[in-house]
Amino acid sequence: MDTFLEEEEAAGKNSAAHTRSSTLLPGLHLPFLPPHLCQPASSQEHKLNFKKSKEVCLRYIQDAMLQKQWKRAAEFLSFYVESLEKDFSREYVNPSEIIWRVGTEILCHCSNGSMREFNSFIEQMKTFGVKRYLKVCLEHAFHLLCNGLIDDAYQNLSLAESWRYGEQTAIQDKEMKLIQAYRGLLDYYSWSKQKNILLEHGLDGFENLSVEQEMHSCFRKAAVNLKEIIKIPGVWDLFVKCYVDLLEFYGDYNEAHQVLSEYAYNSKFPANPNAHVYLYQFLKRHGESKKSLISVLKILHDLVPSHELMIDFNTMLQKSRKRKRCRLGLEVIFAVLDYAGWKENVKAWSCLARQVKQIAIAEKHLDWIKQEWNSRKDWWPAFHFTHYLAKRNWKESESLSYEKAVVAGILLGKDCKYFKYVSHQGCKAQVKRFRILKKFVNKHNPVYLRISDPSDSSLKP
Amino acid sequence: MEFPDVLFPSYFGCGPPVEEGGPAPAAGWGEQGQVLEADPGRCQTETMFVPRRGGTGESWEPTEAAAVPCVPPNASCWIPSLVPQDILYHGFLHRKLRGGRSGAALDFAKQLGHFFVDHPEDAFGSLGRLLHRNFHLGNSKLRRQARDTTIRMTALMEEIDRLEARHGCPRQHLSPRLRWFSHLCRDWLFEVPLGLLADCLHEELLLQWAGLLFDDSLTGGALAWLPPEEVGAQTGRLVYPGGQAMNHLYFQDVVLEELPLAQGSPVQFELNGLIRQVAAARVDGEDFVGVRSDYHCGVWRVPARMGVAPTPLQVIHTSVPASCLTVSPHLPGELAVCTQSGSVYLWSVESGLQRLRHDPQTMFFRDHSPWRWSDFTAHPRVLSCADRTGLQCLDARAPERCHFDLFKVGEEANCQQGERVVLPMYLGRAHPSQHLVTTQFSMYVLDERLPLVPMLKWAHMMKAPPLFAHLTPGGPRRSHKVLLGSSHTQELLLLQYQGGSRSACQLAGPPQKLHPITSCLQHLPAQLPHQHHLLQQRLGAPAAGLAAAVKEEGLRESLMVFQLSEAGDIFCQRLTHETVQAPAPARTSGDETTAAPGSSPLFEEEEQTFYLSNLEVIVNEEEDAGTPAPLEEPELPPQPCASPRPCAAVSSPAAALRYRRWMKGLSKMRRESPRRSWPLTLSQKRLFTRKELEVPAAPNPLHGQARQQLRQAMGEGGGIPSWEPPQPPPPVLPQLAEPSGGADPLSSRLTAAWCGDWGQWWEERSGFNRAQRQRALRERRRRQKRARGRRSLSASFTSSLTYQSELSELSDSGPPLPSPGPLIPRDSPQPRQRSPPPPASPEEAALLSSQSLRCRGIPKERRKTLRDYLAVWAEGPIELPDPPGSQASQLCIPSSQSQLSSASQPRRKRPRMGF
Repeated sequence: MDTFLEEEEAAGKNSAAHTRSSTLLPGLHLPFLPPHLCQPASSQEHKLNFKKSKEVCLRYIQDAMLQKQWKRAAEFLSFYVESLEKDFSREYVNPSEIIWRVGTEILCHCSNGSMREFNSFIEQMKTFGVKRYLKVCLEHAFHLLCNGLIDDAYQNLSLAESWRYGEQTAIQDKEMKLIQAYRGLLDYYSWSKQKNILLEHGLDGFENLSVEQEMHSCFRKAAVNLKEIIKIPGVWDLFVKCYVDLLEFYGDYNEAHQVLSEYAYNSKFPANPNAHVYLYQFLKRHGESKKSLISVLKILHDLVPSHELMIDFNTMLQKSRKRKRCRLGLEVIFAVLDYAGWKENVKAWSCLARQVKQIAIAEKHLDWIKQEWNSRKDWWPAFHFTHYLAKRNWKESESLSYEKAVVAGILLGKDCKYFKYVSHQGCKAQVKRFRILKKFVNKHNPVYLRISDPSDSSLKP
Repeated sequence: MEFPDVLFPSYFGCGPPVEEGGPAPAAGWGEQGQVLEADPGRCQTETMFVPRRGGTGESWEPTEAAAVPCVPPNASCWIPSLVPQDILYHGFLHRKLRGGRSGAALDFAKQLGHFFVDHPEDAFGSLGRLLHRNFHLGNSKLRRQARDTTIRMTALMEEIDRLEARHGCPRQHLSPRLRWFSHLCRDWLFEVPLGLLADCLHEELLLQWAGLLFDDSLTGGALAWLPPEEVGAQTGRLVYPGGQAMNHLYFQDVVLEELPLAQGSPVQFELNGLIRQVAAARVDGEDFVGVRSDYHCGVWRVPARMGVAPTPLQVIHTSVPASCLTVSPHLPGELAVCTQSGSVYLWSVESGLQRLRHDPQTMFFRDHSPWRWSDFTAHPRVLSCADRTGLQCLDARAPERCHFDLFKVGEEANCQQGERVVLPMYLGRAHPSQHLVTTQFSMYVLDERLPLVPMLKWAHMMKAPPLFAHLTPGGPRRSHKVLLGSSHTQELLLLQYQGGSRSACQLAGPPQKLHPITSCLQHLPAQLPHQHHLLQQRLGAPAAGLAAAVKEEGLRESLMVFQLSEAGDIFCQRLTHETVQAPAPARTSGDETTAAPGSSPLFEEEEQTFYLSNLEVIVNEEEDAGTPAPLEEPELPPQPCASPRPCAAVSSPAAALRYRRWMKGLSKMRRESPRRSWPLTLSQKRLFTRKELEVPAAPNPLHGQARQQLRQAMGEGGGIPSWEPPQPPPPVLPQLAEPSGGADPLSSRLTAAWCGDWGQWWEERSGFNRAQRQRALRERRRRQKRARGRRSLSASFTSSLTYQSELSELSDSGPPLPSPGPLIPRDSPQPRQRSPPPPASPEEAALLSSQSLRCRGIPKERRKTLRDYLAVWAEGPIELPDPPGSQASQLCIPSSQSQLSSASQPRRKRPRMGF
């Protein structure tokens, strides 16, 4: 326990040392003193100074690890362990933490590192310091989970959960909550396993009663822990999904809805698109009204205009009879195609082409197009409709170039390079729809003239 | 543009960073971060988990033992940059700078002193002229009436000289006279008020020091690779700066063979300033290359077809140094420019500059750094703007209204205290909405669809902040490769990450260190020590850029990594990867039984302490194991297998050939410009006259003895008791000096003129009184005999200059005696004796030494004029006899001087005396 006290003491002094930092430092303070400022020390000096040799040893370890020479690093680490002997360091990261980190990494990569060795190493590391105990436990559990040892991980987490040492710091508190949450997650997995067993075998027979009971106890344990963590601001996709699944199974829709809207709309949480997606999917699953679905997606559109659900959103809006919604649909699909990631998406282009075509045929809401086009006409041609892209799109995907050519023909007229090239190639290749397209664009060329005419007062929005 | 279904769990807080910052040497190891269910829905029965960090990545193996030069050496005289010793207080580095957190003591006084010496006109000009009459610099006594208004400065000068000599001596103290003088003059002597000057100097010193600690002008790097148009083609272009001032922009065709090979000579553009950054992006099959120097930014268009010359498109001039230039990957001819005044511009070649923001303050909290950065995002009209405190995204169409925070140094991203943004980069080629942000501690991968929460965070553990980054996107189910590079330490780190669209971002595999440029030093042909040192300096120059190229040959892929140094050299290395099958994203489950424990010392030790569960026992165990004194050799491993450096593999023949060629190029370059070869030397011709540089004809016996004594003392490690000459002095056989180039007619005439007896000189010269001259000659011979006895001793205790003047007194005598007898000293040695020049023969005395001039009462200012004038003549047409002993005496003079004296040897002859 002496080391524990020392460590706490060191931590206290450490913070005092930090406040005394001097004035001559540049704004950016560096992880180490830049080595070009250090004097090369002779080997003689190293011998004299334990601290220095510790640093040198650590450098060798790092060097070896960065070159994937795990064995060599392990050899050095066995020497570095000596640094524990006089660990009066005031540094932020003390040797025991370094040994934990480096040792874990080496054991993970050495092909012959067995689980038994790993566990024994970690068990030793857990005794090295109170400040890090929970973190080491959590990482250990992660390692076990990634190796498929779910039961061991569960045991580990339960053990860590019962650990108490004085007053917890804020970080330890967070780590404890995470440990509980992960234990809840594992409870959820065993719950769903038992649920599957029950569903497979049907609800008959006597022995299923015990399974069912166990399942319910798992549910209770999981629900308590999961509910705790998702109250704290953070990204808890995994936990939220599991918790909602639990609630849905037991028919607690209100609670589930509340959890999801809290996760999506609480301003203390980050603007996580997944939160909105989960809410949307939940509402859709439960056959909520179109209005509420649209309102969820509208918020998602404001947050992430390039989200993949925007295609669904656009289709939903296009189908709608309301003018306002159609208008929003056009806005949505234009916004989607602003993004580089959607540049070559056939589906998005066909959505836009369909809607633009509809408007051009009806010649009813040309002002919508005009308004959308106004903020884009200075860069969309260079972004989407260049000669180079026409060639490439034609080569790579005929349907993409068709959809784009429809949009280009309507928005930029029949003289647009993109339209000209694609329709020419299409007619040359004797594809019927391109001939129809050419005719269509020629017929509706006035639409282009009205869109591009700045003085056309009839199209004032 | 899919978004991951499930993200790794993380806390989200607001406000300033909580975690205490500090050097965390191994912080990047051993953590999995968080885990997530792998591929949910694939198999429900067995839940598999994937870690955020620690999965397996692709293995990229270096093919060479070190970096290999890939273009000929840059024809530059690289001037080694400022070193801390130049501006820090002497001895400070050794004592205090260890911790890295303590402040530095800048040697302010030294720099101020340098200013006064180097720019006396600016420092004291007008008052110097005003007080010219009141300061006496001669040795002679002042006359009575002058004494009221004039002070003698000679003693003061001597005092200062002595002070200089005792620099660093702990018992140094100011003499009262100096103290008095400085108190008297401090307020009015200086042209610029001392306080103001000191302020300016201090500011400049701080700037220099900050630049030494961290120089952000190179951010982004000045090296770019323009890949070939088709995927399979082998020839791309390398864009880099070069030339003596790094102000030439080169476009070099490079063929990717086993090692990249420069093909043909590069296309070259001469620019108007040092190139700080070269940025490139490909839009619609054309490369756009942006080049940033301090006050100019330019853009070139390079058609992807080989053999077509790049065309410069536009140049802009900024009144404040630009700190960033990035090229849009979306629209041709669009760039983002930032200046240090806090402005961000969208620069379009067609429509010019559009200012998006002007804010000298930083965004999220106050930071004094004027550094700004800007890059593009997934939306071509939205730009990211960065300063040291974070990143924001602005819509160029409405920059005031539409913006959101992408990254904040704070609790949001779980930053450390003191953490600052070093380099943001748009990772559009890996995933359209991903961004990389590096700080001095960590690297972050961000997704603009979920701002403020990093998708990935990893402590990179680099010794210097990563100023350069390069992305090599991987295809579907492949990892993206990110290279991070630092400047001063030349570190190169290869990281792999995957995910971002369907699955959450994961770091794949451990980071890998690549060869820095300096690594090739041991593979270069052996050099002479001083050349080796120069080479070491050159190769150790800070890195200035980073680029990489991919080459695919069937299943084998190569990654060529180029690194540019500040000296303008480009080195490259090749990493290969066999794409047998796409690596599984999930870690394979470890098998417990197959492994044999105890295969390395670490494991052995664990076996020993297997069931021990607390620290004390482990320590005991180690003590038992017989390491009684861990202090003695804690880092020296007993086994040879754990040597500090593993035996570096031998370089391949191709690489060896490269090294030889590069060395040849370097040495040829040095030979071609001998004048400019470094280290830079100053010609001393104008500083000292030939007379002053001349050495005593014979090595003085006392010098020799003193040297011997010193050597002996050094050998014994003791002290030197005293500098007393031994009694009696040993008999010496000095070679009699041939008259060392006596006064030439011009100088003697001038001296005579200065002294006022020019008429007499003329008479003597014109030979009117030949009888008188003969008499004088006889008289001189007599004197010479006397002097020969006196010479050796008096000379050894006076300065060499006066000794010279005395020698030259003998110079006009007859032929040297073939074997002069032993000299017996007549005078007892007097340490500070100064022998005044004999007044009888002023024309033959050495005129040029400052002491002799001073003795003549020639004021200091005129002395210099005179000396300059004479120096012009001295190296000109005048022929001077040379002392025959000059070769023998070379051992006690610096080489540069010996060069001078030997150069003058052919010019002797012509006896001056006409008889």
